[in-house]
Amino acid sequence: MNKDYEKIAYEIIKLRLSQIIINEEYKLGKFKVPIHLALGHESIAVAINNIMQKNDKLILSHRNMEYNLARLGALKPILDEYLLKSTGLMQGKFGSMNLINPNCGVVYTSSILGNNFSVGAGIAMAQKISQNEGLTIILGGDGAIEEGSFHEVLLMLKSLELSAFVIIENNNFSLGTKINERRCPINLEKFSESYAIKFMRLSNNDPIEYIKKLNELREYSIKNKTPVCIEVMVTTFGDWVMNTSEQPNGKIITYHSGPTPSISLDNNILLKDTLEDPIFVLRKYVDKKTLKEMSKTIEVKLLNELK
Amino acid sequence: MKYIEYINKLIQEEVLKQKNLIVYGQNIAAGSCLGGLTKNLQVKENGKIINSTNSENSLCGFGFGMMIGGIPSIFFMKQLDFLLLGIDHLTNTYNIIRNSEYATKSSFTIMPITVDKGYEGPQSSLNNFGDFCSISRTTGYTITNKMDAEKIIQNKLVSPGFRIITVSQRLFKEELIEPDNLLYTNNDLTVFQYDDGEMVTIVCFNFSFPQGYGLSKDLKKNKIHSSLFNVNSPVETNWSKIIESVLKTKKLIVIDDSKSKNLACDSLISKITNQCKLNKIIILKREISAEWLNPNSDEMIIDYKKIISQLS
Repeated sequence: MNKDYEKIAYEIIKLRLSQIIINEEYKLGKFKVPIHLALGHESIAVAINNIMQKNDKLILSHRNMEYNLARLGALKPILDEYLLKSTGLMQGKFGSMNLINPNCGVVYTSSILGNNFSVGAGIAMAQKISQNEGLTIILGGDGAIEEGSFHEVLLMLKSLELSAFVIIENNNFSLGTKINERRCPINLEKFSESYAIKFMRLSNNDPIEYIKKLNELREYSIKNKTPVCIEVMVTTFGDWVMNTSEQPNGKIITYHSGPTPSISLDNNILLKDTLEDPIFVLRKYVDKKTLKEMSKTIEVKLLNELK
Repeated sequence: MKYIEYINKLIQEEVLKQKNLIVYGQNIAAGSCLGGLTKNLQVKENGKIINSTNSENSLCGFGFGMMIGGIPSIFFMKQLDFLLLGIDHLTNTYNIIRNSEYATKSSFTIMPITVDKGYEGPQSSLNNFGDFCSISRTTGYTITNKMDAEKIIQNKLVSPGFRIITVSQRLFKEELIEPDNLLYTNNDLTVFQYDDGEMVTIVCFNFSFPQGYGLSKDLKKNKIHSSLFNVNSPVETNWSKIIESVLKTKKLIVIDDSKSKNLACDSLISKITNQCKLNKIIILKREISAEWLNPNSDEMIIDYKKIISQLS
């Protein structure tokens, strides 16, 4: 088996299991801070982690767990941070929605929608002045692009000739509404084109393909001193049914924050038998038996880490 | 020399000293250069002067981002009102910065012009600098005369940390006020004392120093010797020198030209009235008239004669 594929599969499974373990703790009511799980976002997080180089900087939003876990490669310091312990990744001073890890390049994280775009632009400017050839990677969601700062920052990044990725994780949800329930569609490709910014859409959760494409775009962005806009199609797993008088049959909501009752460590880590689930996609590269064994090994390791 | 000419000269000198400094804002190196505030700026090696986009919210975040990246910057802003668009960054982003190793990693200064010269109409007449500082307890400085201009610009314009420094558009074309003495400043340059009389203590807030300075001179002509203070930072600070003076004079005049409902001077008044037995207290605040929202001179007029008679 290709060792690179195995390594990537290991990282994705570890990320999935780490989140499921956090969810178990969450269900027990152990956290005072609001936490946003990102089950289903594993492929892009692992891909970003793998393309990041020494001087690259990552600027995240409130749903940052997947990137922080991927960058750190360990669960306990993050879990302790969520528990506001002094043994936490940032000594319990940042909690979840603002969790940073400067040693691993996670330099800023914002719980305010669209706030991190411009901070990212400033960091990209600092990279340019420092001449360190680093890439600034700014994450947002399909809700954040409704903020004016998204437009302002694409304009600034392009005008100031800054190397950056603006990555939009499109999970078709913002709080409790789907895109079509709150706004007209936004064609990010055309939007980017209007600023002469290169655009790419990533879908189907193939981590190997994501890494290849992101590496190419990284080189392009640095060489041409220009931002790149990337839309990543993701499914956030763990929905729940909301019953209201307007919708007596219930409305399926992709949860925003809080534990997801429908996902458990006792069940299979595969959440959907389609390309929407990064675990399912791994079968393209690693056989089922190996994935199962890998999953068991990682689960034992993670649980031991927490003892 | 005019107020704005002197401030511009000081800024030019400071900006030229700093390596890697990014100086940015809308039209800062074009047209009037913000009425002369940013005229003829030059930066040292690897620095940049950027005529920026018109994106005030993002330009605030941009400066904090550079601070995280270790690059010092100054954001010159044409109007204090525009900073309303950046309130999110003044609170939420700054809270991350000061809760982390970034707090003193580099320097970030926002320097808006308080548009207080009048006749702007219903909009563009916000002069409540204290509100911007109060919301997240940010250090801010007003510049009112030759002495505070020198101290604040030379020590604070580029210095580890974040602050807001504002200038008064009303004073731009006025002759620079040059007090005879500077008797005291506290360590963080938030309180300046210019006179040490024993009969009354005058404390000026926001941009009311010209009124307080004029009052002090008129009182002197009438043989009433005053202690004159200017509070340059609207966030509560070390007021011990002011309290010491009031304990001696037992008479207090507070002037605040800000149009806010909640005023920075209220904290001082509360503290002093709790600690000192006063024989006289005169509080001079803005009176909001029915024409408040119409274009008008927007000037705080003080009846000096009335005050003199109250103190005689």
